[in-house]
Amino acid sequence: MSRIPRPPTTTRATVCTAVVLTVALAACSAPGDSSSDSKASSGPIKIAVVDAQSGQLSSLGDWEYKGAKLAVDEWNKKGGIDGRKIQLKLFDDQGDPTAGTNIARKLASEKYVAMLGTAESAVTIAMAPVLQQAKIPNITSGQSDGLVALKSPYLFLNGPTSTTYDSTLAQYLIKDKGYKKIAMITNNGSFGTGEHDAFLKAAKGLGVSPSTDQVVTTDQKDFSAALTKIRSKKPQVVFIGSEEVEAGLIVKQARDLGITAPFAGAAPQGTPVFIDTAGKAAVEGTIVSSPYLSNDASDASKKFAAAYKAAYGKDAELHGAKAYDGANILLTALKTSKAATGQDLADAIRATAYKGLLGDFAYDDTGVGITKTTIGVISDGKLVAQQ
Amino acid sequence: MQETLQTLVGGLSLGAVYALVAMGFSLVYRTMGLVNFAHADIAMIGAYAASTFYLTSKLPFAVAMLVAIVVTGAIGLVIERVLRPLENKDFDLMLIGTIGFGIVLQAVAILIWGTTGRAVPSPVRAAPLDLFGVRVRTYDLLVMGVAALAVIGLAWFLARTKRGAAMQAVAMDHEAATAVGIDVGRSNALAFSIGAGLAALAGGLVGPMLYVDASLGGALGIKGFAAAMLGGFGSIPGAVVGGLAIGVLDSYAAGHFQGYSVLVTFLVFTVAIMIRPTGVFGERTVSRA
Repeated sequence: MSRIPRPPTTTRATVCTAVVLTVALAACSAPGDSSSDSKASSGPIKIAVVDAQSGQLSSLGDWEYKGAKLAVDEWNKKGGIDGRKIQLKLFDDQGDPTAGTNIARKLASEKYVAMLGTAESAVTIAMAPVLQQAKIPNITSGQSDGLVALKSPYLFLNGPTSTTYDSTLAQYLIKDKGYKKIAMITNNGSFGTGEHDAFLKAAKGLGVSPSTDQVVTTDQKDFSAALTKIRSKKPQVVFIGSEEVEAGLIVKQARDLGITAPFAGAAPQGTPVFIDTAGKAAVEGTIVSSPYLSNDASDASKKFAAAYKAAYGKDAELHGAKAYDGANILLTALKTSKAATGQDLADAIRATAYKGLLGDFAYDDTGVGITKTTIGVISDGKLVAQQ
Repeated sequence: MQETLQTLVGGLSLGAVYALVAMGFSLVYRTMGLVNFAHADIAMIGAYAASTFYLTSKLPFAVAMLVAIVVTGAIGLVIERVLRPLENKDFDLMLIGTIGFGIVLQAVAILIWGTTGRAVPSPVRAAPLDLFGVRVRTYDLLVMGVAALAVIGLAWFLARTKRGAAMQAVAMDHEAATAVGIDVGRSNALAFSIGAGLAALAGGLVGPMLYVDASLGGALGIKGFAAAMLGGFGSIPGAVVGGLAIGVLDSYAAGHFQGYSVLVTFLVFTVAIMIRPTGVFGERTVSRA
């Protein structure tokens, strides 16, 4: 019954094929891996988008890329800048700071003019020193206050910081709603920690200390212990500071454990991924602080949402809108500065006053261009403005 | 008290899933002496396949699971076939081969299903049971029930059927097994496809509890692997005990140490492995390299 041994050459050939296949397929999955140099003053203007395309933050990276690409495509259709096309190239940072720093070095050596992204503050923070040294302006989608603390003149945010999100939220919950018993659950990643600190500070400033303050890890899957503690405190509202999927799991499990209090949070709680993960019934009444509540907010957002839907067949949301604004600010600055690079481009971005989907951008020295969010509530699976 | 029990319930339901993952790891290891590093990614493919048949093709959940198990079982056969020429020749290359397959499966999942994952609604609509203030999700009961059936089924197969006995024989001594006329290659293929089927079962069941995306394998794989180690690599009862232990340990660590729970979980795991390197049920270390 035993098999006749194959001649060794066949064996080796099979292995070689397998290895080659593996390598080839792995290479396919990592976009943005060629090295072509272009001169600074002619040919296409090279802009990099760095966002996670794999890993747990890949949906975030996907939205960001789609928003940025939409803006660039529109500019290219109008003829580019100074007759030069804009070349957008996507790099996958896997949501990993180490991968991010490697990409930053690559951008510097391949002379990219500017960078859009990343969606994860920790990655942007890791990349910032390299980009600052190479004088590559970066418009990030991160919102951590740690970004501002870097004081890099080349780093700009395409949205408000956690402080803005959470002080607006705390103001609404404590002043307008009069909630006194607030529970907190946040994760220990860079986003969650930022949310934790910003909300805690804002709430304490308004004279309310949380009745319980639970911290979970970023890859935790079972929240029974933390949620049972929250349930025993009978809070009026639960503040949640974590990314889309984890926040969705927390709310889903909380409802199963019999917690009926509404949840409140920042940008991730307004996204479809959060709503789908938790389920429509579970997220009803969730209070969200966001600069972009819905696609129907204004004529500009309606136009953006229609273009987004036409290009990708999916509904636009906050992150795509943020990236679209960020890309438009960069392209406007490139136009006004006649495709400048380095310090001149950074100055041009700082001087750009832009009326965007999120509001009116006007950058100060900190790199923050917008400091306002509004309160929305999830009703019937959709985020609507609070009346 | 209520909190302690609630934490236990939460830990046990995820522990049942880790146990299934650990069983797949152990089955392949005891038969071939090989750690299949693609195992967790096969579970991820299983989760995607089950959710696709359930949500897109609108099949009943149980049928969708069965189809997913068959699909991933076939993937297991393909992996084994490609690696077969290396069996008993180059063990290291075989290990690296399974790692390569894991990467390929992740890339394939992104190509097919995209980067944005999907949420799977629970197929059991019944509200959670309330037992003296401890809430038990009905779906979790289903998961634990199915996992228990899978354990019993596998134990029965290995102990009572001819093929199962042949696999046991190959696990003990593959040369002697060949001498008495057992087809080692076929036995290995069977182990690989049953292992892949178990992975699909774990992935499909965990879909409605978590969120299905290409990185799901990472979450299941590390805990499942640790569970197999803790129980004794290669032991089926060990995989079950290890899986439940890791699930419960993880839950309690999360409750007491909050942000440091992962650190604590794996510190306890490391100490346990140092005290008993063969795991709870491991009486020998298999070395087939």
